[in-house]
Amino acid sequence: MAGSLPRRPRWPLARWLTVPLVVLPLGWLLFTGLGRDPTLIPSPLVGKPLPSFSATTLDGRTFSSAVLAGRPAIVNIWASWCVPCIQEHPVLMETAAKYAQRLTMVGIIYQDTPDAARRFMARYGDGGWPNLLDTSGRIAIDLGVTGPPETFFVDAAGIVRAKHVGPLTAEVMAQQLAALGIVP
Amino acid sequence: MRRVALPIALAALLALVALVLLELLRPAPALTQAEQAHQIAGELRCPDCQSLSVAESQTAAAAAIRSQIVDLLAGGQTPEQVRRHFVERYGEWILLSPRSPLAWLLPPAALVAGTGLLAWWLRRGQSGATPIASATASDGARSRIRDEVEHLDV
Repeated sequence: MAGSLPRRPRWPLARWLTVPLVVLPLGWLLFTGLGRDPTLIPSPLVGKPLPSFSATTLDGRTFSSAVLAGRPAIVNIWASWCVPCIQEHPVLMETAAKYAQRLTMVGIIYQDTPDAARRFMARYGDGGWPNLLDTSGRIAIDLGVTGPPETFFVDAAGIVRAKHVGPLTAEVMAQQLAALGIVP
Repeated sequence: MRRVALPIALAALLALVALVLLELLRPAPALTQAEQAHQIAGELRCPDCQSLSVAESQTAAAAAIRSQIVDLLAGGQTPEQVRRHFVERYGEWILLSPRSPLAWLLPPAALVAGTGLLAWWLRRGQSGATPIASATASDGARSRIRDEVEHLDV
């Protein structure tokens, strides 16, 4: 076999570098990127004080977020046209019935008319917590709302502890309430 | 091939750098407050629709943000403060163009790296071209090859 050359790659280093430099980052990007829900946005408000707001409630009273101080609070953004809001409503009703003495609940009506909101309450139940009319849409913007339902869990010091996007379940509620120190 | 590719790549890179510099050094035109508001709205993502800016969207949330931009500017805030106002609430997500320098530096870096790689590869093809090892077959081998070729079933 005179003259036959061993067919060795001339740049073995370059080939070996392909794996860590190209394949691994690409794989990591696909692995993490494709699994992510593009609608899920981490709120920059978590860990910060809840922005203050005041508005008229559905039953005509004035509400200021200053009354939230001193107790844990749940701020729920909802609308009558929002189907997942119907789904999570019983969870809110149950929370209000159980823990009304230990926390403050407040609803913010998002892009809706007072009449439609009242009909929603009449149909699915009025838990008795104040529901604010955000007519200018400013409260929702201050809270960084992208679409109802969204729920903020605020501790007694007024710091946002968590934001839940999408319908609340009994499990999520129990978990978030426990984080606020409210356990059955 | 190499003599053409490398200058072309370098020229393209230079043109890109020149364009970026030109854009950066261009003096910012003085804008009215309404123009400023429209410009900021164009840089913000509409929160309740996909892939539209606040300036383009017809949703109630976009309208509310537009009116708030106008109010904030009228209140004496700078455009940068107005942008920060919304970033503090929605996060960087609200900005249509990313703030992270990585997002801006990575593509040119990839271009430079790619050009370098191409140049290196082309050069390698020229200088490193070793001729195929010449087959010095013996007379016996030659006659055998001829023999086998003739008897091939084609």
